[in-house]
Amino acid sequence: MSDLENELKQLIIESLDLEDTSVDGIDSQEALFNEGLGLDSIDALELGLAIRKKYNVRIDAEKDDVVKIFASVAALAEFIESERN
Amino acid sequence: MRQNFVLQKWAVWPPLHADREQELAIQNALLAKVPALLKRRLTPLAKTVFCAAHQCLDDSRFVPMVFSSSHGELAKSFGMMERLAAGEEISPTAFSLSVHNAIAGLLSMAWGNQQQCTVVAPGEEGLAAGFIEALGLLQEGAGRVLLVFYDEPLVGFYPAAPFKLSTAKRCALALGLAKTGDGQAMALSSLPMSGDDGEQPVQLETFIRFLVGPQPRLTLKTPRHSWHWEKNVQAD
Repeated sequence: MSDLENELKQLIIESLDLEDTSVDGIDSQEALFNEGLGLDSIDALELGLAIRKKYNVRIDAEKDDVVKIFASVAALAEFIESERN
Repeated sequence: MRQNFVLQKWAVWPPLHADREQELAIQNALLAKVPALLKRRLTPLAKTVFCAAHQCLDDSRFVPMVFSSSHGELAKSFGMMERLAAGEEISPTAFSLSVHNAIAGLLSMAWGNQQQCTVVAPGEEGLAAGFIEALGLLQEGAGRVLLVFYDEPLVGFYPAAPFKLSTAKRCALALGLAKTGDGQAMALSSLPMSGDDGEQPVQLETFIRFLVGPQPRLTLKTPRHSWHWEKNVQAD
């Protein structure tokens, strides 16, 4: 598991108040929304804001494939890596 | 106007007679069944509403609901305005939880209640506005209506004096109302005299004392009306 993936899990837990969840409790391939972790659309907005603040990476709902980017921690890490390079 | 109704059940939160430790223990028990993903969004005010409402539930959670709050989650809105003033971005979650019907929405989701739901901000008239809304629903044929009043102390920034619109305590009162049947037979009427017995947060404390106490009648005066509640009314 990459450091970025771990960092993202920590960011998800902190920014979305998931006190009962641990980094180890989130599978990098697991779905973040609806099924899996069970997050909702407000969480998506909150997470987008947290990612913009921490990585200076902006997810553009008009241009980017938001569903794909937010599919899992692994997908999110891949997108942030590609945007930073 | 005069409307008769039956108060089936009522509950107040925090409890009138419990120390802080007992209160937390009961609160944890009352909130135990709220799904974790919803519970993380409950502000202290939302928890207060949930605890009052949960205790007022009968067999069915599927009832029309009326909520009334003078200030709602104004502290949350004020916090966001401070962030905006400081040039910071505001939290989408905080925004979604700041709107006046946020707590009503969370409670409907927690209970899976898809019945109609109204949230009023009553201004000067105070408690009467929520009652009129709830009694209107009963009049239209609803078998039972859950009416919930809640407020918390106003953020210090806003001038509370000389207006009577804030108290020192966060508080929620839930009332199960019906048109007829078992319970306390009551009536609400309006009288032409006016005065100033305060807005909802102040009236709420008076009304709870009325429910608990032996007095058969309560009149609350507002700048335009006065509202008159009676207990032990003879059925129609």
